[in-house]
Amino acid sequence: MRLDDNRIAFVAHCSLSACANTRRELVGGAPSLPGITKYRRLGWNERWATEGAFKAMAGELRVRLGVHNLSDDQVKAFRDAYRQMMQISDNRGYQFFAGLHGVPSWYCWHHQHNAHSAQQMRLFLPWHRAYLYNFEMAMRDRVPGVTLPWWDWTLRPPRQRGIPGIFGVPTVGGQPNPLAAFRINLPNTNPPLVRNTKRQPGNPNDLPEQSKVDDVLSRTDWNDFNNAIEDVHDDVHGWVSGDMGVVGTAAFDPIFWSHHAMIDRMWWLWQVRNGSGNISTDLLDTVLAPFNFRVRDVLNVNDLGYDYAAAQVVASAGGTG
Amino acid sequence: MTKTPRKAPAAAAQASKRRRPLAAPTRGKGSARTFTTRPIPVEFAGPEHRFVRADIEISGIFHGEASYEGRIFLNNPKADAKTPKDLPNGYAGSFHIFGHGGCLGDVGHCEVSGHNREPYDFRPPHPLTPAMKSVTVTTALREIAKSSKAVTVTVVPVVTAINELCDAENVFRCENIQFVTYN
Repeated sequence: MRLDDNRIAFVAHCSLSACANTRRELVGGAPSLPGITKYRRLGWNERWATEGAFKAMAGELRVRLGVHNLSDDQVKAFRDAYRQMMQISDNRGYQFFAGLHGVPSWYCWHHQHNAHSAQQMRLFLPWHRAYLYNFEMAMRDRVPGVTLPWWDWTLRPPRQRGIPGIFGVPTVGGQPNPLAAFRINLPNTNPPLVRNTKRQPGNPNDLPEQSKVDDVLSRTDWNDFNNAIEDVHDDVHGWVSGDMGVVGTAAFDPIFWSHHAMIDRMWWLWQVRNGSGNISTDLLDTVLAPFNFRVRDVLNVNDLGYDYAAAQVVASAGGTG
Repeated sequence: MTKTPRKAPAAAAQASKRRRPLAAPTRGKGSARTFTTRPIPVEFAGPEHRFVRADIEISGIFHGEASYEGRIFLNNPKADAKTPKDLPNGYAGSFHIFGHGGCLGDVGHCEVSGHNREPYDFRPPHPLTPAMKSVTVTTALREIAKSSKAVTVTVVPVVTAINELCDAENVFRCENIQFVTYN
């Protein structure tokens, strides 16, 4: 086992018995979130290992990895899933899922509205977690085993510069890169939208830095954290610009999903430290339409069958005692 | 606290079906209008008062059109998009609006009618119900309050994504701006 970088706990894929020594080393700390029974702070504030990691070792959880650490095979599987989904025009396809966020269905929650009281709704994070879950499951229907990687926009050269390369190259093997653009086909909106998605990214140095992420994760109050993380999220949408820059078309850009995986991962890191926060009971029972989840159903990513890691290796269950 | 009337969305004026396909948003040309409050008393932030954090809360923000970074400057009403984001220029922090991108529906689609909802209307609120943003400005406010009893708040919107459905000039529109301190 190795630590891939100095910030994220590394998850190995092996049997529980083979990882027993590692497990003992990582165990410790007091849990505050259902499903996370034991954890230990490893050093820097994102270096965590959770019980979920051990479930992943047993093959029970799917692991979302960093875009910057995907192997060639993992990139190929990721591309294949998008390519196949983009060729489907029904409710299993890319356009269907992208269209739930903005045009034409407008289900997403941004800027926290509440029609009945002055209380803020704070559905931004849980709604997008449910959204990514459904999208990822649709990806896995096409390519079994694939997971949605997260784009760490805090990385700086030489590790990454702006838009990650796998999303930036226009063609792969002589074919259009399905991670670079998607052809929107909505002839009946007003006005019509029938064209390829575009981006107009800003200066890579203007992307949020690690210090900004640290500041967001330091907010211990749920509402305060919500405001801070949504603002960073808004910032990155604007940085990518083009279709990603506005709510109506953002989800049609293939990089949307990995940006939101990063946001979801930040929320999970916050939850590991702070629990689920002071979410009101009303909010816990709010339905995240059009998905079959309430807010309380999406609080624990392990209950949804996944976890986050920087990278993943497969190790033999055998070894020396 | 200060108030400014919120202008009606430009897209609300659209009348009929638009058949010309919509081009992708761009970063625009940077001609968005800045907004400056009248002087706001800040004795509460003077050296003799103890506070650990000060926020500027902006509520009633219209977010139906362009996306932008709202740069906040204290006591610098001449600030614009080229003003350095540093303390000597009064820069206190930024907020970001992820805009709707203009109205992609028929007439009335983007008109918010939240004030007339029936008591048993449990449908979700309109997506364009105005937003609230909070920006922590502790350092800048503390510095300025050492020598001033009042400050102006200038918001410089720097557009990040805009299309032809959006008003390129009146990008930032809000209802209230207020300071909140914590101790």
